[in-house]
Amino acid sequence: MPLLMQSQSDDDQYVLVATLDNARNLSNILKAIAFKDHAIFTATPNGLRVTVEDSKCLQANAFIQAAIFQEFTIKEDLVGLQINLTVLLDCLSIFGGSTVPGTSTALRLCYKGYGHPLTLFLEEGGVVTVCKINTQEPEEPIDFEFCSSNVTNKVILLSESLKEAFSELDMTSEVLQITMSLSQPYFRLSTFGNAGSAHYDYPKDSDMMELFHCTTTQTNKYKMSLLKPSTKALALSSKVSVRTDSRGVLSLQYLVRNDDGQICFVDYYCCPDEEADDE
Amino acid sequence: MKFRGKIVDVACLNHFTRVVSTISKLTKTCALRLTPDHLFFVLCGKVASGGVAMWCELAQANIFDEYQMEGVSSQDNEICLEVTPENIFRALRTVHNAKSVKVKLTKKHCPCLTVAAELPTMSSVNRVVTHDVPVDVIPRRLWHEFKEPSLPDFDVSVYLPPLKTMKNVVDRMKNLSNFLVVEANLSGQMTLKIETDLVSVTTHFKDLGNPHWGDRTSQDGGSQSPRDLDAMAQARVDIRKLQQFLVGQQVNPSRAICNIVHQTVLHLILLHQDVSLQYFIPALA
Amino acid sequence: MDCVVTGGNVKVLAKAIHSLSRIGDELYIEPQEGPGLALRCVNSSRSAYGCFLFSPLFFSRYIVPNGIAFRCRMSIKSVQAVFRSLASLEKTVEKCHIHLDKQKDRLTFTLHCKYGLLRTHNLSFQDSETLQAVFDKNSCKNVFRANPRLLVDTVAHFPPSMEEVTLSVSDERMWLRNHVDEELGDSSAMLTELFLVSDEFDHFAVQAHTSITFCLKELRGLLFFAENTGLPISMYFDEPGSPLVLSVSDSILEGDFVLATLSDDTRNDTRRGDTPPARPPDDFMNDDMDSYLIAMDTSIAPGPSTTDSTSSKQQVVANHRTRLHSEEEEEAETAEKDGPPNKKFCSLLFGSVLPLSSQMSTQPVSNQEVLASDSDDDTQID
Repeated sequence: MPLLMQSQSDDDQYVLVATLDNARNLSNILKAIAFKDHAIFTATPNGLRVTVEDSKCLQANAFIQAAIFQEFTIKEDLVGLQINLTVLLDCLSIFGGSTVPGTSTALRLCYKGYGHPLTLFLEEGGVVTVCKINTQEPEEPIDFEFCSSNVTNKVILLSESLKEAFSELDMTSEVLQITMSLSQPYFRLSTFGNAGSAHYDYPKDSDMMELFHCTTTQTNKYKMSLLKPSTKALALSSKVSVRTDSRGVLSLQYLVRNDDGQICFVDYYCCPDEEADDE
Repeated sequence: MKFRGKIVDVACLNHFTRVVSTISKLTKTCALRLTPDHLFFVLCGKVASGGVAMWCELAQANIFDEYQMEGVSSQDNEICLEVTPENIFRALRTVHNAKSVKVKLTKKHCPCLTVAAELPTMSSVNRVVTHDVPVDVIPRRLWHEFKEPSLPDFDVSVYLPPLKTMKNVVDRMKNLSNFLVVEANLSGQMTLKIETDLVSVTTHFKDLGNPHWGDRTSQDGGSQSPRDLDAMAQARVDIRKLQQFLVGQQVNPSRAICNIVHQTVLHLILLHQDVSLQYFIPALA
Repeated sequence: MDCVVTGGNVKVLAKAIHSLSRIGDELYIEPQEGPGLALRCVNSSRSAYGCFLFSPLFFSRYIVPNGIAFRCRMSIKSVQAVFRSLASLEKTVEKCHIHLDKQKDRLTFTLHCKYGLLRTHNLSFQDSETLQAVFDKNSCKNVFRANPRLLVDTVAHFPPSMEEVTLSVSDERMWLRNHVDEELGDSSAMLTELFLVSDEFDHFAVQAHTSITFCLKELRGLLFFAENTGLPISMYFDEPGSPLVLSVSDSILEGDFVLATLSDDTRNDTRRGDTPPARPPDDFMNDDMDSYLIAMDTSIAPGPSTTDSTSSKQQVVANHRTRLHSEEEEEAETAEKDGPPNKKFCSLLFGSVLPLSSQMSTQPVSNQEVLASDSDDDTQID
């Protein structure tokens, strides 16, 4: 890959350089949070965090640890930028994002700093594509102040079992209600649509339930329109941890395995529908 | 004016179906010229079609097992029809497993190309299906519009990269922009470029090779003045038109060539055995 | 009502509901003690009706209250939602429990899935009278039975957008061709014609050489069910204007789709010339090239070559052997909420035989215009 090699001599001018042998390891996980155009990139020596938000009530984060990259060089403690995620995904899959073994797109991602475009060098089968994506100053991501000490209930499910439920949810229902309880139904998803109500109950001893930890019975409603994008993450993940804190804020953590079997995480935070302040 | 052709060989039927399918992706209607030896699908570069022109040539002998035609007259031994390729494709597609297919010019409620197929069944008698595809007969006085386009006096001629790769790239670029710049030189390099407020993307292909046109073209014409091998000729085109052409990859061409008349026209050629497809996309300012 | 469906029968039930959804928007449910559970549907123009009857043996538990007749109707979409993914249904659902709560006006479907997952759908319903089309398929002159595959392959030749086909029969053959509405005058429409020989059918009995024209949509609906269950499809019909009945059955279920057909005088398809039995279409074996070749003077500008005299479309009184009894029609708009039928012939059959004339007379004026010729029929029925 001559163009990729050649660019390395210019590395000095970049504050951030990251390379991947397989661009899908980045594009796939970004697809899990691609529900709005604007994405905030936050790079630290630990890796890359990409954040997408909606209506101050929903936030999705994708984490790609530095170790996932073949090279991850950062000259500052923190490099932030904002970018159009849809455009980035089109660029990352410029060669079609083939899943055929043996053909993968190599990626070199470079950023000179504020005011400069994010530059991608992509190479597959000797063909090189150079993309320059304009960047903006990053906005400050919302802090949902979700900390594990305030978590009241937590279940870990195999994603497979939630996928079906989510794909069949009654979208005429404005909300998705999540119930976690000490006794039956333990873990319940409910919708209230035009046609009537529907419940999906997961017994706590199901093979699909890896962990059931419930301290108090809690029922919260979340806007369906906000939760719908999280199905993208569900589709890619193998496990999901569902947590609520005392305020009813929902945290969904997805464990995603990439093509090389490495583990990445995607999380979603969602505010409950009722403006229930801390009691 | 009579025409009847019969296809028995499944491979020929599939091949013909794919060609018609490709044509149907390129244009809603076009002319079909039938001569004793060839079939031509022709689209002339009218403003209504965005200036795009198409010329597709098939040797009848490579498709039909039987082929009989009688043209308008012995001097003009040719039939010229206006057809909707999509309809012919639909008719052919439903009979893909036929034991034999006849394509005939018939007079039903209006002139029709009739696709009649014998389908295999479990019983001793074959199932027969006929599709009558209405066509218009193009009068002799309009034939001059459907002549083979002359080879443009291009600045650069280059082999195209694998169409699948090119299609992937163009499909993504289509998501990002409505226009695309194709550039190529005589050193076997070609680039595809888009540029918008949000992003610029450039894909570089190299070592593609440049076809030798020999004495077929105007070697001593305007392009003969020795051209700098690295100098790029370019054309900015409507990205959808290029995308439509790339659907033609299902024909599996053995050769695909791109000719560029600098800032004037993109001339694309697919060659596959007996079939050749030429496509002209005018350059935009 | 309290019943349980297990194993593969859950999918059969789901397919029946999906196939009925091709007919209408509302599902009429009637659990009966003897014959079993009836699911019915009728389209808004009342030109198509479908019914599945599941015998008590179809269920692993089937309890209906003694002597109390209960019927209800509900949006078929909401019932479809219970069985949305047919693929996962087969893999994950072990048992389906249907329970009726009359107090709460609620019909509950509980799906017991793998790994102990439980899906509960509480659907609201409205009371309804029985919906019943009366037809006597056994008196039909023409009776056919075939593997669903044959009809699936046949229908595949007609594009999905094509709405109506004309079916003609002779002693040995069945022809199908797409029906082109002369009044729409779409000369660019593709015409497709296909014939099947009697050998391809399991049963082929023709007493009347007739041609009927009907909508493909509902046939496709029943084919969806038949193809998946592998049950042979029977067809019954007489003359144009009287209904076509499509049936599937085995020892534990029965499905009947009743489709209106165009009455004779409206069916004239001038673009085709004679009906096929009179002039067999292109017979491949005896193909004489010259008979298909045409001499066209190319000096004539292209355009519609010949236009036969327009056949006037005339609406005809429907056949009274087919009646649709529906005694609850207080809400006329439920049946007609989709607006007037756009195909004249569709309204002929059922619309004219509704027991309650109010059905038609409450139509907005615009509907009446379309259905004008039906008003005669209304007065005949009381």
